[in-house]
Order: sequence, then C-alpha cells, then structure tokens
Amino acid sequence: MKKALVIQLARFGDIIQTKRLILTLIGRYDEVHLAVDSSLVPLARLVYPQLCVHGLAAHRGAGSPAEVFAASRMLFGRLASERFDAVYNLNFSRLNFSLSALFDADSVRGYAMRSGQPEVPLWARLAFRWTRKRRIAPLNLVDFWAYFARNPVCAGEVNPVAARGGGGIGVVLAGRDSRRSLPPAVLAACVQAVFEGTGGPAITLLGTAAEKTLARQLMRHFSGPMVERTVTLAGKTGYSDLAEVVGTLDTLITPDTGTMHLAAHLGTPVQAFFLSSAWCFETGPYGMGHRVWQGLVQCSPCEENRPCPVSVACLAPFADKRFLQVLAGKAAEAYPEHLSGLVSMFDAVGVTYLPVFGEDMAAPERRELRRLVAEHVCPETANAGAGLIGLSAMQDMTLQDSLGRFLFSESDWMLDAAGRDFPDVADVPGFC
Amino acid sequence: MNSSLCDDAASRGEKARVLVVLPMYGGSLPVGRYCVDALRNLGHTVEVFEAPDFHSAFSALKGLRVTTDRLEYLENSFLQVVSQAVLAKVETFEPDLVLALAQAPLSRQALKRLRRDGVATAMWFVEDHRLFTYWRAFAPYYDFFAVIQKDDFLDKLEELGVEGALYLPLAALASFHKPVDLSPVEKRRFGADVSFMGAGYPNRRLAFRQFTGYDFKIWGTEWEGEPLLQRHVQLGGARVSPEDAVRIYNATRINLNLHSSVHTSELVGRGDFVNPRTFELAACGAFQLVDERSLLPELFACDELVTFSSVEELHGLIRDYLEDEEARQAYALRARERVLREHTYEHRMQALLDFVRAKRPSWPAVRRTLESALHGAQLPSELTAELGQLLESLGLPADASFDDLCWAVRQRKGTLTELETALLFLQEWKKQYA
Repeated sequence: MKKALVIQLARFGDIIQTKRLILTLIGRYDEVHLAVDSSLVPLARLVYPQLCVHGLAAHRGAGSPAEVFAASRMLFGRLASERFDAVYNLNFSRLNFSLSALFDADSVRGYAMRSGQPEVPLWARLAFRWTRKRRIAPLNLVDFWAYFARNPVCAGEVNPVAARGGGGIGVVLAGRDSRRSLPPAVLAACVQAVFEGTGGPAITLLGTAAEKTLARQLMRHFSGPMVERTVTLAGKTGYSDLAEVVGTLDTLITPDTGTMHLAAHLGTPVQAFFLSSAWCFETGPYGMGHRVWQGLVQCSPCEENRPCPVSVACLAPFADKRFLQVLAGKAAEAYPEHLSGLVSMFDAVGVTYLPVFGEDMAAPERRELRRLVAEHVCPETANAGAGLIGLSAMQDMTLQDSLGRFLFSESDWMLDAAGRDFPDVADVPGFC
Repeated sequence: MNSSLCDDAASRGEKARVLVVLPMYGGSLPVGRYCVDALRNLGHTVEVFEAPDFHSAFSALKGLRVTTDRLEYLENSFLQVVSQAVLAKVETFEPDLVLALAQAPLSRQALKRLRRDGVATAMWFVEDHRLFTYWRAFAPYYDFFAVIQKDDFLDKLEELGVEGALYLPLAALASFHKPVDLSPVEKRRFGADVSFMGAGYPNRRLAFRQFTGYDFKIWGTEWEGEPLLQRHVQLGGARVSPEDAVRIYNATRINLNLHSSVHTSELVGRGDFVNPRTFELAACGAFQLVDERSLLPELFACDELVTFSSVEELHGLIRDYLEDEEARQAYALRARERVLREHTYEHRMQALLDFVRAKRPSWPAVRRTLESALHGAQLPSELTAELGQLLESLGLPADASFDDLCWAVRQRKGTLTELETALLFLQEWKKQYA
C-alpha cells in the first residue's frame, strides 16, 4: 500500500489552497494523510473527508511547552509508524524543517532536513526569487504547491465552476490584516451596490466573534431594506456551519481570506477585494468564474508588515462611484483608475486572471515569466506553445532573456539540485 | 520528571559551547583535533569547523597556472567565503567561545563581526612567533590569544593592546598518546634502537648525520636530498599518521626529540617553547632525549626527562641509555605521570576556559535546562525515561542544557526518532512563540 503525507502547517486558507496537490496525490497513492495545526483539524476533515488528518501543535496557543512536547512525541510516533512513501512538506518554516527530520530525506518533497542541514528544493527557490518581484508573480499558490508533484491533476478538476446557490449575498467582514480589508463605510457601499444589482437578496455577515463590532459598524451604513434582509453570523459559525452557509450563497463578497478559498472550494461565486499586500495573482480564488477587484497603485502589492507611506492609496478606487456602478452591474461610462477588474480562468498551467477592465502594465512581463515557469514545471505545454491563456505564439525573447537571468541563478546551472525537484516523475501517468 | 534532568541552570554554568575552527592543514591541525576531544571529555558541547574539507578547493586554485596577482585575489576571495562559512556556523551553533587554531581561516572582517556580536574568540597560536610573524596582524582581533612562548612575546602582545594573552604550553591527549601493546610484526616495523619522528629541518639534517651508525629510523617528511640519511628515512619520507606515530614512540628504545630550527649554525637551538612531541612521547611512556629549552624546566623536572645541549652530548646519552633499560623505563614512567598530572589537553582547555571565565564574569551564558524549557511541568514517566536513555546514548550528562541536547540531536545522521524529532520541534516552537 503506497502512502503519502502532506504537511501543511499554515492557516485556514492555506489548507484549502493545498487542494490541487492533495487531489493529485489521492489519484496516485492508496492512502493520503494530512498534518495540520490541531485547531484546523475540523476544517481539514470537512474539506478532505477522504484523508487521514493529523493535528499537531503548530500554532500559538496550542498548550504549554510540556503539552506540546508530549503531544508531538505521541503524534510523531504514529506518523513514523505509517512508513510513508512520500512526504510533501509545504511550508518554509523551522517547524516544518524539524518535523521533516522524522522522515528519510529522499522521500521528502519540499522542505527537507538532510543530516541536520535544511534544504530548499529548486522549485521553492524559484518561487522565492519570483516573490522578489511580486507584481509579476507568475503562479497562484494553489498551483505552486500542486507542482511539488509532477503533472498535477488539471486545474479545472480542483473546484466546481462557480454557480449561484440562491442564498443571497455573503459578506466576509474582514481578513487577518485590517489593511487588506475594506473599512465599514466603503464595504457597506460595495455591498449596497451588489444588493441593488442583484434585486435585494438576503445578506449574511460572516466573521469571527471579534468582528461582531465590525458587523454593527457596517450595518449602520446599510439602508433600511438592507438591514431588514441582513443576518449576522459573526462568531456563531464553526467550520461546518460556515461551509453550509457559504455553499448556498449566490455570491461571497470578501477580502483575501480563508472563507474566500472555502467559497471557491464549494463553487460559490466570489467577488474578492484585493488591496494593500493582497495580490490576486498569488492567492486569488481558485476556479472558473470568480471575480477579483485588484487595487493597482504604484506600490502594489506592498509588504504586509511595513507601514504604508501613502495612506493606503489603493483603497480609494473601492469607494469610487464608477466602481460601485460596475459592482451594481450597470453599464459604466468610464472605469475607475488604479483598479483592475479580473475574472478567473484556467490555462494549461493553472488558474489565471483575465482583466475585464483596468490596465496592468506588468501583464506582459508576468506572462513571459509564466511561460518560463511553465517550461520548468510542464515543459510539454510550454514547448507546444499552446494552452497558456494570454500567451502569444511569439515570445518576447529580450524579455525572456532578462527574466531568465532573474529566475535562474548560477547555482541552478552549476550544482546538481534540479534532480530532486520531481523525484516521483517515474510513477506519474500521462499529462493532462 | 527525573530530578537529574531538572537541575537548576545556575549550577551548570560551567559547561560551555565551543566552536573549534581547525586550520585547513598543517601542524596545528592535529592539535585542534586534540582540543576537540579534550573539550568533549570535559563535558563541554563542541562543534567543529572542518576547514580541511575546504583544502582541496584551495589547492585547486594553486594549480590554475595564472598570474600571481590573480591567484592572490582568488585565494583571498576563497578565504572570505570560508570565513563566511564559519560565521554561518556561529550563527547556527551560538557558541560561548570560538576557539581557532593557528592558521584557522578566520578573516579579520569575520573576527570584527564576532566581536561586534559579543561572541568570545580565542586563538591558540601553537607556532613560533619569531617565524610566523603574521600574528601581529591578527592578535588584536582575538579576545583571547594563547601562546606557547612567554616573556618577550607576551610583552609584544601587551604592547599591541592584546589584553587577553596567556601562556598555554602544548600537551598530550592521554586517551590517544598512551602505552600500546604491539605485535611482533609491529615491533619490527616501527621499532628501532633510535628513532626520530618529524620533518627534515636543516638543523636536524646536519645533526643526524652523526647517528648513521646506529639502528636509526627517521620518520616524517621533507628529508629529500640528504644522501647520508636516505637509508634511514622510512616509507620514502611519507607523512606518518598520528596512530603510527604512537606505535613508533612505543616501539623505539630511544626517541630523539630535537626541536626544529631553520638555522644550521647552531644544531641545538636552545629555544624557548616546548614542542608537542615532548608531551606526546612522555604520555606514551616512551623514553626520549630532548634538547634543552628555556621553558622545559617548569614543565618537567630533571628526573623526568633527559636533556642535551649539544649534538656531542646527545651522542653520549644515546650510548649510555641504549645500555640502560631500567633507567629508560624509570624516566619514561615519571614523565608519563607528570603529563597525566599536569600536561594533558584537558588541562590546557580547562586553563583556557578558566582564563576566559576570569576575564568575563558572566561567561559562559547560563542555558535553559529541559525543565525550564518545559516551564517546570511534569512529563509522563515513560517520556522522562525515554529522555534519560536519549541523553545516555548521546553521551550527555543528565543535566545537559536543552539547547545542548537539541544540538546533539541535530548532529545525528539520517532520520531521527519520534522523540528526537519532538525535541527539535519543541525547540523551534519555543523560538517561534516565546
């Protein structure tokens, strides 16, 4: 019996964004296990009922050090006894590196510890490099993780095509970082536009218990009919309730959040607001038929932890009347500046986002970088010159030359690192 | 929880984490390895920077056949990379002390960085400062500078502003340099009436021409071009391993120990420092005739070592002692006892660390015990027992610090056990959320 383990120690959204990889492994192994932080075990079981899910103390608040130690010892004993054929260790963190020491380094895809030396595979090193120029980020995180396995399942098989569920509008009150969320007044105007544009359906406010105040602040900006149609579930839903609610919505209005990825997983249409450090080309909703509104100023996307020197200028377009007209589905005479409207699509590599309005000056460079990355992970497609949406048959060789030097370092060329990227290539059947 | 695992951190403040930076090659390399063993024997946590692993790359530069200025540039660049590797090791290991042996690849820039970061550095300069004059350019960058010579050298260091200078003579490693039982074949192969083990310095070449009438074996390198001695030179002048050196010392009736000199005007130089061979021969329980050194009397008494001050005197002593096995054995025994009592590398390392401790009152840093890492909480008894077994298998004391335990686990090759992995996981978890 062939077994694989996926170690995903990050957060809510990341667990769902591991889906393409997990579906790939389900098709290749008899048994797939998933290790996540203990607090996220219910979510993981909900999203992946076919997996054996293990919870470990990876996050703050997991208990005292003694409890963490004793629980880890017990869990690691169980994991070691499973004798996994492959371990997909997905997070670049010290915790992940230390956990990988439990397994034969040759069986670890991703971040491994080899005789005490942490190793970053070439694929991840390429990603580290392209994140130095996030504006031209060529790959969605779902696809990045999926390509830790060679020839993952088709992108279109990951999530259902987005379709209305009849349950009205869901509104995610805020994301983890407040700068990436719309303030109540701006969000209320956006919700109102969608409300009016869709005939005044029910509104469900979603969030944590800490966001109850935010819900009240938001509703102060709602019109009477909107208030009447609004239900607040902030702090009232576990993962199961949340999935039940989100799965029935017509649309989910949200910043870049775990709930957004849950909606994409369930096939609920997403209208996502991406601003500040959020960048849809990295973590946009995965699937066909989602809409993303991406704030696009000179400094987009910024660094999450650095103070904003321009008073969150990327927020302004979301309050623009022209944008609200677009949200309401009215024909716009002109589109707001510093904002791009995009819809999610697939090409042969994975998900991508096509602009409906707004000019993204970085698009040509991103396209060429995607072509280079595609050459690395799915050369069949890239060489055929087909299947990559937005990529012209003619390649910009000058741009590719400079991007090639940006993406590949001398050590890639000189040291034997590439071979470890796809050690399971031999047992992979056809390319999709 | 086992009380032995839970001792107060303060009571274990004596143990240090030491990063030993070996030279890429040369005479101080084995001394560095002996220091590593000695520090470990004293219970300290030791990590080694294996500079010899970089030597082949360094040698390759010399084989390039390029212009001298280009070669110098490449060598300096390479040494900067190796220095950076040492710094990376320091960053990961977080030592209380970086102990470098003479010629260790630590650049001034790296030493400045270590000083800025508050990492104590020590150099054991086991060379003759009159020959290796480059010490001037490096000594001020070390916090502690141990030397094998006294008087004018210590004065010069003081003039340079080096406050942490100390006299630290060479020594022997008792667990290695010891009497050994040799097979008849080994006795034939390594034994002789008279032997010398060492490089063919000019003073030795001239002096030893007078002993060709004896059953005399010369071991070591750099004896080429000395026709009179060729039939005495063993293994074609190949390098002799430290293990074989111990066999030679043990198998020889009279071991000659003539300190090196590049001068031929005075075959017996009457220099100051005492070479490692003196201590090693003594520790092996081997009889030696050693030339007089100004620092020898304070290290060995006159009934422990037989000394000579001229080649003529040496000649006479060889004749006398070849016939007197009882006297040879008596000297050898007393010399060995003296070494074991005062001149082992454990003694030297203890002296060095005591010196550092005296200069830096809060040194070494008190590290967390496993108990404090667990905030004093009780562990299940079976887990405590498992930990006890792990400490034992790692050769660590029961009161080893949490960080030392984790470090020892990290040194293990291959996959780790669930207990070892849980320890590393806990260490990272604490770093992340402390």
